[in-house]
Amino acid sequence: MTQERDSQLSAMFDGELPGAECELLARRLTRDEALRAQWSRFSMIGAALRAERGVALHDRVAQRVQASVAKEATYGDGADTGATSSQPVPAAPDSFKTASNARWARLMRPVAGASIAAGVAALSILWMRTDPGPDPMLASTVAETPASESIVLTPDAAPSMLASSAPPVSRISSNGEPDVYVTPAPSSSPGIAPPARLANYVVAHSEYSGPLSRRMALLGLVAADSENVTPEQAGSVQPTDNATAGAADAP
Amino acid sequence: MTVEESDLVLVKRVQRGDKSAFDLLVRKYQHKVVKLVLRYVRNPAEAEDIAQEAFIKAYRALPQFRGDSAFYTWMYRIAINTAKNSLASRDRSPIKYDLDLNDPEESHGVQTKLQDPDTPEGMALTEEIRQVVNSAIDALPEELKTAIVLRELDGLSYEEIAAAMECPVGTVRSRIFRAREAIDKRLREVFEGGLGRTEEMV
Repeated sequence: MTQERDSQLSAMFDGELPGAECELLARRLTRDEALRAQWSRFSMIGAALRAERGVALHDRVAQRVQASVAKEATYGDGADTGATSSQPVPAAPDSFKTASNARWARLMRPVAGASIAAGVAALSILWMRTDPGPDPMLASTVAETPASESIVLTPDAAPSMLASSAPPVSRISSNGEPDVYVTPAPSSSPGIAPPARLANYVVAHSEYSGPLSRRMALLGLVAADSENVTPEQAGSVQPTDNATAGAADAP
Repeated sequence: MTVEESDLVLVKRVQRGDKSAFDLLVRKYQHKVVKLVLRYVRNPAEAEDIAQEAFIKAYRALPQFRGDSAFYTWMYRIAINTAKNSLASRDRSPIKYDLDLNDPEESHGVQTKLQDPDTPEGMALTEEIRQVVNSAIDALPEELKTAIVLRELDGLSYEEIAAAMECPVGTVRSRIFRAREAIDKRLREVFEGGLGRTEEMV
C-alpha cells in the first residue's frame, strides 16, 4: 500500500499521475508530513543529479517561505484547511474587467444592430397591419381556415386582434397608399393573371410611386383580380375579401 | 496529466485556502528558482533571499493566476523580475564605508558575506547529499539509472522515455520510482545520521 502510494507520489512529482489520483494525493500531502518530506527529497535528488552548482540541497528557502506565508492571508474560504479566510480573495484587475467588457461589447454590436433592424421591421409591419377589426363574418371564416393556409398577413396572423371590436378605419393613409400589407392567399386555382389593362396602368404609373406603394398596388391588383376591381379600388382592397377567398379556396 | 496540470491541482488548492499546497510547490521548485536567480547574482545566500522574496510575491499574486501558462513559467518570470529589481536597488543603494575593518567581528562578517556563500554546515550537507545521490545512482541497475537520468537530466516525459527504452509507460513509471526509492533510502540515512555528524563537525 505504502509502495503504491510512494509510486503515486513519484508520478505526481513528474506530472504523470492521472488527474483524479493527483487530487486525492494532493489532499493527503497537505496532512502527511512524512510524505511531504519525501516530496522534498525527490526534489533534492533531481537537483543533486543536475549538479546545480551553488544550489544548496536543503529546504531552507521552503522553510522561510512557509514561515512568511503563514502570516499571509488565506485565499478562498479556507475550506481545504479548515481555516477561515481573514481577507477576501483579491478581485480580478480592473484592466481585465475593462478588456473583457470591451470584448463583449464588440461581439454584441452586430447582434444589437440586427435586433434594432428586426425591431424596426416588426414595428413597420405592425403599423402597416393596423387593423380596425374585421367583421364577424371574417372572424368566423378565418377561424375555420387552417393555419398553414392563412398566409394573409392581416388579421389571421394575430387572432387576438380579431377579437377586438375596434371600429373600422380607413385603410387608405393620407398619402393615398394602402396601409395594409396583403399577401394573396394561395389558391388551388390556376395562377391569377391581372388584366392587361390594370397591369398597364400600374406599369405606367409606377415611376411616380415608391417601391413599397408600387408593390402594394401590384399585390392589391393580384388580390382583387378575382373580383375584377378597378385599379383605384385595388389600393383599398379589403383583406377580408382575400381572406375569405383564401378560405374559400382551402380544401 | 502533465507537470503543468499537476501543478495546477496544487495551485487550485492554494486558491481555495490550502497554504500547505503552496509549500509543496516551493519545495518542488526552490532549487530551480535559486539556480535561475544565480544567473543574476553570484552570491548563493543572496540568491536564496531573492528566491524567497519571489515565492512570497508569487503567493500574493496567486489569486490572479488563471493557469494560462505553466506555474513554473509564471514563477520563473516573477523570480527573474525580483532578481533584476534586487540588482537595480543594490546599484542605487549607498555603499557603507563606516565599517571598521580593523574590528575583528565586523571584518569577519564582511569576509563571510563576500566569500562564504553558505554556512559551513549547509555546504557540508549539500556536498554530502550530492555524493550520496551520485553513489546511489552508480549502484542502480542500468535500466533504473537510464530512466531516472532521462527524466531528471533530460526532462523527458514518461511516454518519451518509454519510446526511448522500448518499454511500456507503466514500466517507466515503476523504474523511475524504484530509482528514487533506492536513492531516497540512502538520503534518509544522511538526514537521520549525517546531519548530526555535520553539526558536530561545525
